[in-house]
Amino acid sequence: MVNVSFDRVNLPFRTDFFVGGVRCQLSTNSYHVLQHSIPWRTASRDGDVGTFDLDVFEDPSMDSGASGTHFRGLRHLVFAMLEPRTFVSYDLLRRQVRGVVSSEAARDRAFWKSQLLPMTIGILGTTMGVAPLHCACLTRNGNGLLVAGLSGAGKSTLTAALAKRGFGVVSDDWTYISRKHGGLVADGLSAPIKLLPDSARFFPELRKRTPHKTMNGELAFEIDPERFHPEAALTSCTPKWIFFLERMETPGCRFVRSTNAYTREFFKSNAERLPEELPEAREARSEIIDRLSESPSWVLRSGDDPHQTAEAIERFLPEVARGSH
Amino acid sequence: MVRTDLTNQPDPLDVLRRFTPTPLRTRFRLGATRVTVQTNDFKLLPTFPLDTAMEGPGGRELEWTIIRDQDVPGVLQEPLVMSSEELTIAIMGPACLVGVDHERGELLCFVGAEVDARTFQEVLVPYFCGLTKEISGSALHDHPVCEGRSRIDA
Repeated sequence: MVNVSFDRVNLPFRTDFFVGGVRCQLSTNSYHVLQHSIPWRTASRDGDVGTFDLDVFEDPSMDSGASGTHFRGLRHLVFAMLEPRTFVSYDLLRRQVRGVVSSEAARDRAFWKSQLLPMTIGILGTTMGVAPLHCACLTRNGNGLLVAGLSGAGKSTLTAALAKRGFGVVSDDWTYISRKHGGLVADGLSAPIKLLPDSARFFPELRKRTPHKTMNGELAFEIDPERFHPEAALTSCTPKWIFFLERMETPGCRFVRSTNAYTREFFKSNAERLPEELPEAREARSEIIDRLSESPSWVLRSGDDPHQTAEAIERFLPEVARGSH
Repeated sequence: MVRTDLTNQPDPLDVLRRFTPTPLRTRFRLGATRVTVQTNDFKLLPTFPLDTAMEGPGGRELEWTIIRDQDVPGVLQEPLVMSSEELTIAIMGPACLVGVDHERGELLCFVGAEVDARTFQEVLVPYFCGLTKEISGSALHDHPVCEGRSRIDA
């Protein structure tokens, strides 16, 4: 039996950093885990932000065997099993994350960047005034553009196509919205863009790569935005416009002005149900979505390939900025 | 393999299965501690000898919530225990995930489909009683005693 006591003596290394709009206070016994936090330590955030504790214990005895990926939650507790062999518990009331990781996981930088940190902000974010929204986030000339849509609508391939055209990429999948100085800010986690294998027909450069099994079990390419454009990767922006991407069978791109009510309903009806123990988190998330829904929005119906759709957006945005729409 | 019809169909907005109904209830005492158990499977109700003579005032109220997780195969594995002042988390593979909140007096648990009634009664219930003993911090009887009949909430 492995028995880990999460006291300060067992976790001598400590640092803090900002991720997804919140402050993480990391305690660990692992030098490797400490090293993974270095890229995040350069980010800063003024104003009042939420804070959580992340206690990570590296246990070499965990390296044998397989755990698979498995999540469950009851009330304020969430249990997670991840590969490489890692067990994590989340206490949403106390904002505490505790994990026991194998040495393989402790050394795997991609695991922290693509799995553990995104999952952590996704689970805990709502308790700290951050609304995790299922949408891509890009920027053009400093203005944030959220691209929402149902799974399979093509958000990630469109994100990659926009990155190739010089758009900044904050996120291709989950964007973390919080309040800042009376407005909103959208954060990403510098996670790679996840592209399904069939997207190689739009991006020939992917054909030399091998897709990998991702956390949800599907095969995908995971590509850093810089691979599409050297200046594409960004960590945050101010969201200004929202597009709801819908696939059409017929060729062409149409931008149809949407309503505040549609935006509100879309994000609220797609948000994870939160337990009764977290009424403030539910209210804070609802307020952020209400505020976001005041942004101008359009339904983008596209039957074109991602590059043509990206080109249409590139032509459309200057007209929006001029107030033509 | 255990199969019941009481669990919810998967809800895309409840991927963690937080909202599985637990209409089955029973109560028992561990020394001075009153424990309420709620679950979605008859086979996960602890079976203790009925002894109403143990009823009495006082003592701490604790709650066990035990979810039968029909989608999780496999048997119990060697436990990994993560303990802190406020929480004890025990993971016995996907087939048993337990969290005990010492301050709130709650034991929250998922039990996989292939953990049979005997394993539950002979392995998990004693283990949960041990965890509950840590919560209450009081001297407990060796044998838990049931306070009354199990029931199904409407």
